[in-house]
Amino acid sequence: MESKLVNRSPYDADSPLETSLRAAFSSLKSKLRPPFPLTILDTEEEYSKLNRAILYGTLCEPELTEVHIKHLHGIVSDAYKYFTKMLVKVVNEFYCKTFGNVKKQILRMTREMVSVSAIGFDVLLVALLRQIVGGDFSKENSWLCVEVLDILWSFWDCLVEEEPVILSGALYVFMRLLADQSRVLNDPSNESLMKMEISFCLRMLRERFSICLRIGRDIVRLLQDLLSIPEFQELWRDLVCNPSTFRVDGFVDISQIYSRRTSGWYFSLRLTPEMESHLRFLLSHVKFGSQKRYQVWFAKKFLLSEKSKVAIDIVRFICCGHHPSNEVIGSDVIPRWAVIGWLLHHHDDEIRTKLKLALFYDWLFFDEGAEDSVMDIEPAVLLMVHSVPKYVDMTRSLVEFVVMLSDRYDTRRKEVVFGGISRAFQAVVKRGVVRSLDVVLTCDMISPVLREILAKFLQIELKTAPADFRFPTTNQTRHCFTRYIEFHRCVAAKGEDSGECAKFANYYRALCPGEWIEKWNEQRESGTFPGPL
Amino acid sequence: LRDITPAAENNVNARFILLDKARPTAEEGPQHRKCLALAADETAAVHFQLWGDECDAFNPGDIVLLTDGIFSYDRNQDAVLRAGRRGRVQKLGEFCMNFVETPNLSEIKWAPHPSDPKNYAAVSVVSPYSRLFPPL
Repeated sequence: MESKLVNRSPYDADSPLETSLRAAFSSLKSKLRPPFPLTILDTEEEYSKLNRAILYGTLCEPELTEVHIKHLHGIVSDAYKYFTKMLVKVVNEFYCKTFGNVKKQILRMTREMVSVSAIGFDVLLVALLRQIVGGDFSKENSWLCVEVLDILWSFWDCLVEEEPVILSGALYVFMRLLADQSRVLNDPSNESLMKMEISFCLRMLRERFSICLRIGRDIVRLLQDLLSIPEFQELWRDLVCNPSTFRVDGFVDISQIYSRRTSGWYFSLRLTPEMESHLRFLLSHVKFGSQKRYQVWFAKKFLLSEKSKVAIDIVRFICCGHHPSNEVIGSDVIPRWAVIGWLLHHHDDEIRTKLKLALFYDWLFFDEGAEDSVMDIEPAVLLMVHSVPKYVDMTRSLVEFVVMLSDRYDTRRKEVVFGGISRAFQAVVKRGVVRSLDVVLTCDMISPVLREILAKFLQIELKTAPADFRFPTTNQTRHCFTRYIEFHRCVAAKGEDSGECAKFANYYRALCPGEWIEKWNEQRESGTFPGPL
Repeated sequence: LRDITPAAENNVNARFILLDKARPTAEEGPQHRKCLALAADETAAVHFQLWGDECDAFNPGDIVLLTDGIFSYDRNQDAVLRAGRRGRVQKLGEFCMNFVETPNLSEIKWAPHPSDPKNYAAVSVVSPYSRLFPPL
């Protein structure tokens, strides 16, 4: 059947949602014109049906909008909860496929729901924000941005009072969009939209900084991408040199923002519901080894545009917004680090640096005692470890990057960043995410200087083992094996945390190739280790 | 999909995902375009033949519902699944479905059942995977 709502091909299956809306409309059509019957709606079923009918009417009969709205105001008994819920479903399911005039009506009704503070209007605004596609500079996408910004601006005071989180979410979205747009030079149609976005962001940041702080540390990352815009350059200067301009009690230094973890919710705002469902399916149901076709489809659908840097948002989302259950982690489903590895390979250098920053962002200020979770940092270290030896370039590039970050991310607060990365490395070992970083520490393909710094993060000393008279020959194989055994016998006798065993650990790590250590660790676990432990 | 066998009836109802699609063969004008696709579900894979407008409407990654389809031999003596004149093929969604690429029922040699000539049974495997759409 031809659809009035959605631009469909004859081969698309009927959507149950659309069918239910249209059915309600057709059966109640006569009751949707004035004079409205004054019958009280007894059952929830009747109430829902009437709501669905009015919704379909508002979307498909724009000329009768006022009539339908008056009707809705007249019959409402649940503070518009059901109506808004249905409207959210429509947006999530097929906003991008609806006709232009239906889109206009959706925004019209959104405005109406915000103006009456309908229950769920915040969810509705979020649904629309998610439909704004990053890196898409088409008229339709820009129009949606303008409409949403207009609603936010018109209802500013009410939103600040009732749903400030939505404003912080919108700030995240528009800062992210601006970063992509500011790279597309000299497009006049772009300019007026950018002006609106900049005004919104600046108003939020200057007047309501305490709401902006809710975003957490990623607001710093976002700001750093906007420094080419003069207004943000100025704001950044104030943030770094003059924090009191923001008039938030207790806020005196930018490093206070670092310690606040950004919730995965913000990252989901930059993924369309379809992208999110595809990613979650990939990470929950696709076996490791069977992912290639899915990756081809995903890339073709979402990663094709050069202007879109959505991969950055995807990496943040995977790290912080999707924490698989232990069951999934233990199964043969493709792990998060493998998907991130694919994203890194798929993009070229310019974006790859940003992807790596996105991957390591929570490492910079990691503190398990505060809000951070080891699940946020797990993919990065697993990618590092599992890429040895087959993809050692990846490991090297990641180690280089994290070392570079510790030095250059915030040159005035190097100890803060070093501390964060150090705690992150120690946490992944302590929590058993990896048994140890030995395979990286003993990897010859990575420069000793880098490995030295890595050892510093882990608070291990990486000197080589002293010459031992028991092993005078050049072939030190037996020396390496003996030290390995000595370490484990020491641990068995004195306990893991005894500092005395650390020197044996340093010796074996300096002497033994990483692959041997991995193999022996596995053998110990399975009880087949050929040595006197 | 694992249970289908070649037959001259429109009796196949299945839900599967399209893994890949080949270029249409340039034959007899636009209305008679055909192109072959690799379709699969959690149990098996098969070659699916798209006709006419279907060639453009469906793409790899699409989850498809087939009603009253037919699994039979086309002109090249290949066993293919298709909607046929009485069947219908509809797009349900995209991406979110598991699949296997073996066995591929179009890469199996079928012959009439010795005791029951109306029904076909698998005789031998020509290839475990599709030769036209090998696994990536």
